[in-house]
Amino acid sequence: MKSLLIGEVSNGSLSAGTLEIISKLQENSLEFNLVVIGSEEGPSIGSDSFDVTYIKVNPDALSLSGVADKISEKINSDGIELVLASSTYVGRDISGFLSVDLNSSPVSNVINFEVNDSIITTTNSIDGGESEYYTNVTSKVKILIVRPKSFEPVDVALNNNFTTLTIENNDLTVDVHDIFVEEKSGPQLEDSKIVISAGRGMVDVDNLKYINELASKLNAAIGGTRAIVDAGWMPYSQQVGQTGKTVKPDVYIACGISGATQHQVGMKDSKFIIAINKDEEAPIFQIADLGIVGDTLSIIPKLIENL
Amino acid sequence: MKHLLEYENMKIAVCAKQIPDPAITVTYDGGNIARPDEQVLDDTDRYGIEVALQLKEKFDAEVTVISMGKLGTQKGIQQALQMGADKALVIEDPALENSNSLMTSNILSGIAKIAEADVVIFGTESSDGYSGVVPQQVSRYLNLPCVSYVKGIDIGEQIVLTRQTITGSEKVVMPDKCVISVTASGVEPRYPNFKDIMAAKSKEVEVVELSALEFTAEQNQEFVEIKSISSEKSGEKHVDEGDGFTLIIEKLKEIKAI
Ligand SMILES: Cc1cc2nc3c(=O)[nH]c(=O)nc-3n(C[C@H](O)[C@H](O)[C@H](O)COP(=O)(O)OP(=O)(O)OC[C@H]3O[C@@H](n4cnc5c(N)ncnc54)[C@H](O)[C@@H]3O)c2cc1C
Ligand SMILES: Nc1ncnc2c1ncn2[C@@H]1O[C@H](COP(=O)(O)O)[C@@H](O)[C@H]1O
Repeated sequence: MKSLLIGEVSNGSLSAGTLEIISKLQENSLEFNLVVIGSEEGPSIGSDSFDVTYIKVNPDALSLSGVADKISEKINSDGIELVLASSTYVGRDISGFLSVDLNSSPVSNVINFEVNDSIITTTNSIDGGESEYYTNVTSKVKILIVRPKSFEPVDVALNNNFTTLTIENNDLTVDVHDIFVEEKSGPQLEDSKIVISAGRGMVDVDNLKYINELASKLNAAIGGTRAIVDAGWMPYSQQVGQTGKTVKPDVYIACGISGATQHQVGMKDSKFIIAINKDEEAPIFQIADLGIVGDTLSIIPKLIENL
Repeated sequence: MKHLLEYENMKIAVCAKQIPDPAITVTYDGGNIARPDEQVLDDTDRYGIEVALQLKEKFDAEVTVISMGKLGTQKGIQQALQMGADKALVIEDPALENSNSLMTSNILSGIAKIAEADVVIFGTESSDGYSGVVPQQVSRYLNLPCVSYVKGIDIGEQIVLTRQTITGSEKVVMPDKCVISVTASGVEPRYPNFKDIMAAKSKEVEVVELSALEFTAEQNQEFVEIKSISSEKSGEKHVDEGDGFTLIIEKLKEIKAI
């Protein structure tokens, strides 16, 4: 089944999500080409084992519909039957546009898939990871939007062996101004071995100082629930869960988090989960390896002091 | 610079999806979410509706709620009207049961056309389906610019939308014809008062017939099975008696995290 992977550039290389899908494709010996979307200059995203096209976009414009036009053409002319993208902002936008062109509804939030002749069976995680939902995709062209962290990223040698396409502005292009890049310092959520996350059970935004201190003692990254992100305690980039990031650290410490399914989806595959919550019945305890029923504001300061 | 006058008399279609009460665990009927007669407004859509209403207040826009799916008691539709939308265009048809995202967006695009919408507003993902691509698909069907993941609107000399991006955020001037998806943050959805609730009762809810729409999307997904992988963890749970922190430190040492 001829496949096309829609990848993205990150820090001069392929994004983690892209490398994860490549690993799955290679493991299943699927023939594929790669189109990579990005705005960076001179990234190293080429390869000798598959064909790479870099679609370079202008950071000062929303021009993904023009990008989708190009990719649609390629899918038709190359006889592509399987299209894959990572479930990121760009991946979702592009997949949505392509699905209309190809009259093929995408399967979203895929965590695994299997190819049998001309049918693809996809797996989704539901009930906060308690169950798996299987679907057969029957259209000629199949579009899968894959959740990050579903596969181990592959370690591939990348070089400058790729072609570049630039995108012209069209009627649908919208100009962008005031680009704001959030400062990233310290360990990053996606690749830190320890993640400490805060929920509404930290009671007040000021108490996040305890989370910061604990994180610096343990060299951990900091995450949070949507409840506290919506309350403005933390930027969105630190949200863990269905609509935020997926993390799989060695240790995840949930501080004052109830454990709603939408939060669990983003962290339940962590190797070891520690939960602190004053409510003995909180759902987070169902997935915790070590649960402490108690007050975050009394336990965490002592923890910091004694580490 | 885009002149504010360009937005006068704008018509807005805003999505309101009815979903089973989120406080109750989702149940499945075969591979499909079971839908009771009484469904409520998806919280996610309140944010889009709020954006639509802010535009209405400023530009006297006409705001039409659009919705597809089992109508039932129409509680969710009423909740959207109570917030302040003017009227509703809704559709229910057996052929649309368990629609995939493309079928949904195909239908919503048709309804937005009937509403003569200049601007179509969405949530970023529904709470029950969360395919998260319907706004993008509708923009493609309607050939309109797509401003996705909007987390703020600022109406001053221009209408400026702030978008969430992977590295931070960015601002765009709102095109006078476009599709917008709004994230569940940034704006504060309003709560209707008694007067709003009473007023909603006399607002028009028009049911659209499927035959009035151009429907080309198809079902391409067959349900296979749901498998429980329930791995009830046999984790330890301790009530903190002042020693909770030592249990954590011991455990971190045991698993060699410190
Ligand atoms: C479509 C959709 C997408 C969503 N996506 C996400 C997502 O990506 N990520 C996410 O996190 N959520 C998401 N949510 C929201 C989710 O459903 C929950 O509302 C949210 O995770 C709750 O956050 P919380 O645990 O901080 O707050 P709460 O649910 O309010 O829980 C607070 C917990 O703190 C405990 N507590 C209070 N005080 C103390 C104290 N002093 N000491 C110890 N414990 C205390 C309480 O017992 C309670 O269990 C989504 C929801 C929807 C509908
Ligand atoms: N059946 C529907 N009726 C009205 N709006 C919908 C419907 N399905 C999806 N939407 C809109 O599309 C957004 C994305 O939905 P989804 O693709 O299900 O994640 C939602 O937040 C709604 O605004």
